[in-house]
Amino acid sequence: MQGSAAVVTGLAAANCRQNLAGPPAGGGANDGTLHIYTWANYTDDGMAAAFTERTGIPVVVDIFDSNEVMLTRLQAGGGDAYSIIYPSDYMVSEMLELGLLTELDQSRITGLENLKAQWANPAYDPNNAHSVPFCWGTTGLLYNHEASPGEPTDWNFLWDNQAKLSRRITMLDDMRETLGATLKSLGYSYNSNNPAEIEAAYNRLLELRPHIAAFKTTGFENELLSGDLSVSMAYSSDAIALTLEDDRMQYVIPESGASLWTDTLAIPATAPNVDAAYQWINFLLEPEVASAAVERLFFATANQAAFDQLPAGIQNNADLYPPEAVLAKSEGIVAVDTASTDLFDQFWTEVTSA
Amino acid sequence: MKIQNSNFPYPPTLLTFPTLLTPMTPAHSPTPSNTWADRLAPRLWLGPVTLLGPAGVWLLVLLVLPTLLILEISLVPGLRLGQPSGGYGLGNYLQILQPVYLRVIWRSLVFAVGSTALCLLMGFPVAYWLALMSPQRWRNLLLVAFILPLWTSSLLRAYAWTTILRPSGVLNGMLTAIGLPAQNWLNTPTAVFIGLTYSFLPYMVLILYASLEKLDIRLLEAAADLGATPRQCFWKITVPQTLPGIAAASLLVFISTLSDFVVPTLLGGASSMNISRLIYNQFLGPTRAWGFGSALSMVLILAVSLAIALLIRYGDRNTVTEA
Repeated sequence: MQGSAAVVTGLAAANCRQNLAGPPAGGGANDGTLHIYTWANYTDDGMAAAFTERTGIPVVVDIFDSNEVMLTRLQAGGGDAYSIIYPSDYMVSEMLELGLLTELDQSRITGLENLKAQWANPAYDPNNAHSVPFCWGTTGLLYNHEASPGEPTDWNFLWDNQAKLSRRITMLDDMRETLGATLKSLGYSYNSNNPAEIEAAYNRLLELRPHIAAFKTTGFENELLSGDLSVSMAYSSDAIALTLEDDRMQYVIPESGASLWTDTLAIPATAPNVDAAYQWINFLLEPEVASAAVERLFFATANQAAFDQLPAGIQNNADLYPPEAVLAKSEGIVAVDTASTDLFDQFWTEVTSA
Repeated sequence: MKIQNSNFPYPPTLLTFPTLLTPMTPAHSPTPSNTWADRLAPRLWLGPVTLLGPAGVWLLVLLVLPTLLILEISLVPGLRLGQPSGGYGLGNYLQILQPVYLRVIWRSLVFAVGSTALCLLMGFPVAYWLALMSPQRWRNLLLVAFILPLWTSSLLRAYAWTTILRPSGVLNGMLTAIGLPAQNWLNTPTAVFIGLTYSFLPYMVLILYASLEKLDIRLLEAAADLGATPRQCFWKITVPQTLPGIAAASLLVFISTLSDFVVPTLLGGASSMNISRLIYNQFLGPTRAWGFGSALSMVLILAVSLAIALLIRYGDRNTVTEA
């Protein structure tokens, strides 16, 4: 049994197969393989093959599609299945509170000094003590300019054109992002703890709700391309891939500010094969590896040395690297207090179940 | 279970089965006072245990224990994974009574009852034609053709409907070609009804077909000979004779549509929150309210169990009356 499991994982590593399924058979065992749990399109065969060639450690990649799914699997006993996970900023804070992350031994990590100043001491994990920023992006509006009644520049576009856009809008199926964008459109913070502000955002979202076709985090792309949808709220990583695929697609970071998200590399508290995990982190912090990955996989890097090596075309892509003025108005989503979480939750349930 | 078997617990073949597994007591036994049957009797339990054991363990470990676990979690109010919880209580069940959740349950019931009715209305004529009127030599082929879509993933089939129903999709292409107004049905409850009916129609037809196939044609002939109109024949003979099949098919489709997740998620848009999506959100959404999610699950399990109880009581009547 053990032997056949090794053969299976060996084969999987050779293809760098990306599993959507659960933890791999024998994943809990320290079998010398590096098990990674990450977002879709955050690794590719080339990256894994280069790592295996360098270190001799086979890599198996599993995919999650939301932080909550990842957290649930780790809490439900998958904590010893993965050596490396990719939680987002707010999830790092939450997992820290739950004691689910290993405190990083920074003497074993090389290249932290290459991080951009903005990520040297992030609010979600002071001094990067438990996580290493891997990539970042924004949440904005992706639109088909042939099917849109104008060029959106801000969140208010949705409310101002709601009649023309009726049932041609999707928003993210993500409580903090969608209610947060509504808060921002009212001039409030994504991370408001003020019940009156949160309620005002709820009422404003309720006004738009009859015109929203669906709350979707994925699966809106085809309808947007065919012109059946006009505007979709989207993460920049998904949106930019689509804008490069089709000229009619445009991505805009709203003027009044968007959410800034960071996805990190972290080691679960009960991770097997911690040595391999550190090797993976060091590998990805190398400027050559990081810039090659950015060129292939279209996300923004938090690594200044890697950024400097990028071709000018990518460095100047304002969708990927927005101007400072826009960044200054944008915010990272951080945990709000318990009463506000419950309020967000109650209003989100009302909006999505009405 | 046929009634004629009720005083005879095991089919005869099972009686001989234990003898294959355990050594037979020698015929020249030192205790000749025991009859052969007496010696065999203590081992009677071996047969059922061997036959039912594997499935029993399977069900115990993968169905009964998890359900009990869900029941326990549902009785801890406000339980969130990774957070300390208070004691036991009924808070999670009381939370279900809030209007917003009752609306979701009501919507799930409307989806389930409505699509079951549509399946029955469309499925009965098809099954009737297949069982009683279609050419004998094509019958099996036609039946296979009808259930062929079931061989692909339900996710793919639901996704295919987005291509058909979207404003620039196949359906509107056809509608406008014949001069009818275009419809914007994707992301509406209409799309959910269409998707659910499409998904579960083959089950309806299969069960109704099995029921109609057993219909005694001589009854219809006798009724016709005695002057009954076709309409009277249908309502007084065909429907009553196949009522258990209709009940079985309807309840099965009702159970499946009530708990369907894929179709409302992909086709229903912003107005299609149903109970299974709500449960999913409690476990994998931002709230991670496992206690409340478990209470919702228990309500769903109870509703489905009730439907299954009705199924056993009314759906199976033909086998009982046969016996």
